[in-house]
Amino acid sequence: MIKIPTKVLLVDDEKDFVEMLSLRLQEAGEKVSAAYSGRECLETLEKTRIDVVILDIKMPGMDGIETLREIRKRYPLIEVIMLTGHGSTETAVEGMKLGAFDYLLKPADFEDLDAKLEAARKRKDEHEERIRKAEASFLLRKSGDI
Amino acid sequence: MVEDLRSGLDKNIRLLIVDDEETFRRTIVKRLQKRGISIEEAGSGEECLSILEEKPMDVVVLDVKMPGMNGIEVLRHVKERYPKTEVILLTGHASTQDGVGGIKAGAFDYLSKPIELEHLLGKIKQAHEKRVREEEKRREAEFRAKMEQQMIATERLASLGTLAAGVAHEINNPLAIIKESAGWMKLILNKEEMADIPRKGDFEMALGKIEKGVERAKRITHQLLGSVKQTDSVCSEVNLEELLGETADLIHKEAGNKNIEISHQIDPAVGSIWTDPYKLRQVLINLLTNAVHATGSGGRITIMIEPVDERVAFIVRDTGQGIPKENLNKIFEPFFSTKPPGEGTGLGLFVTRSIVEKLGGKIEVESQLGKGTIFRVQLPRYQKIDEKPAQNDHVDNLKRVFEIN
Repeated sequence: MIKIPTKVLLVDDEKDFVEMLSLRLQEAGEKVSAAYSGRECLETLEKTRIDVVILDIKMPGMDGIETLREIRKRYPLIEVIMLTGHGSTETAVEGMKLGAFDYLLKPADFEDLDAKLEAARKRKDEHEERIRKAEASFLLRKSGDI
Repeated sequence: MVEDLRSGLDKNIRLLIVDDEETFRRTIVKRLQKRGISIEEAGSGEECLSILEEKPMDVVVLDVKMPGMNGIEVLRHVKERYPKTEVILLTGHASTQDGVGGIKAGAFDYLSKPIELEHLLGKIKQAHEKRVREEEKRREAEFRAKMEQQMIATERLASLGTLAAGVAHEINNPLAIIKESAGWMKLILNKEEMADIPRKGDFEMALGKIEKGVERAKRITHQLLGSVKQTDSVCSEVNLEELLGETADLIHKEAGNKNIEISHQIDPAVGSIWTDPYKLRQVLINLLTNAVHATGSGGRITIMIEPVDERVAFIVRDTGQGIPKENLNKIFEPFFSTKPPGEGTGLGLFVTRSIVEKLGGKIEVESQLGKGTIFRVQLPRYQKIDEKPAQNDHVDNLKRVFEIN
């Protein structure tokens, strides 16, 4: 079975972490882009098609929650997984209330991350599929009317 | 006047009169008895001391001039051995010197013979009042000292907790880097092209150790962060029987492996309690896990839930090894553990105590080496609801969010 790569954007100000996790995700067959700040994340999203964003909550400048808000506003179909090195799961909950798919505590198990990534990707695919179907039936009805 | 005094003296006062003149003694005893006050009697200083050995006295009325051991000598012994007992001296007519010397030696006061009964009663009453006052003062001082100690301990724990959580947070990021790097190396090592590299096993072994080390550090940091997290309690009415059953089930397997018998009793009068069921369960699990670890094969663990006034007490009793006295006030501190490195984080009871305090309760421990340990948690029946909006939480709450999703 050929794995369809998930297009992942990894956002964290910890460069070493981004670098290593990117390598691992790529090795696992995903297509990974990296951003080191919230700003950079939004810039990347403008230019690149992304399925899932893995987003660190605590970043200098525009933090994870702010970035998440922007992502949901501009790209409602993109799924977001929050990462936190903080015990402050309260921000993770806030993130999920804002529409994040899930959260992970650092240091996270790769298997957990991988599973959540798959699930997020699946939800996005299904969502898009429903939109396509809805559009199709809408078009059909429209043409039927004529 | 007689009536006034009569009502003024505590009928339960423990009195002793010491005098070698039997008629005098008997008169006093009889007259006091008429008023419903009982008084013991001794005919000599030696007799007085042997009575005191058996029964503590509040006030001793002591004649100074006695054959054998004289009153002043007896007084010294009494004050030395029973400093709380007050002594009233009876001196001969016009021998005020004896009286003054006696007061210097610790007597409450003296009366010169012949004495008036009313005077004696008045003095006894004053002496007794002094004793009661001093007892109160002592108790108050003790209480204050205890409170101060508790406050110091609480503050110490709080600041330790905050510091530890800050450190834990800072450590999680580098831990994540180490973990990803080790994972990455492992991934490469498992590639086909790497199948034949020399000493591959050494690399794998070392990488495994790095990962295990990271796991251990992560357990510590996550537990620490869990302990100080501002948590938003989700309170509900908790069915204690169900909760207890669930909790015991969770621990049953581990206990079964060690052949430990777990029994639980709920006082039916306990009723229900409003609190955070997830946190309460964590507290019970922590205490039970500790109990299982401390108890040897064939031991017993008893869980009891009973009402205490407006509170509910949860008691976990084990027949384990017990906690040495010198460790008893350390067990709630973070990182205190008697387990070998890597097995216990030393955070279990620290976290437990933080939770109990957040739930508005308190936790106490009693232990006897070789016999076992009792942990007693008291929680209010109604947890005050936090007025802050829901901006905090706990991993458990998150899990609930998931379940709803």
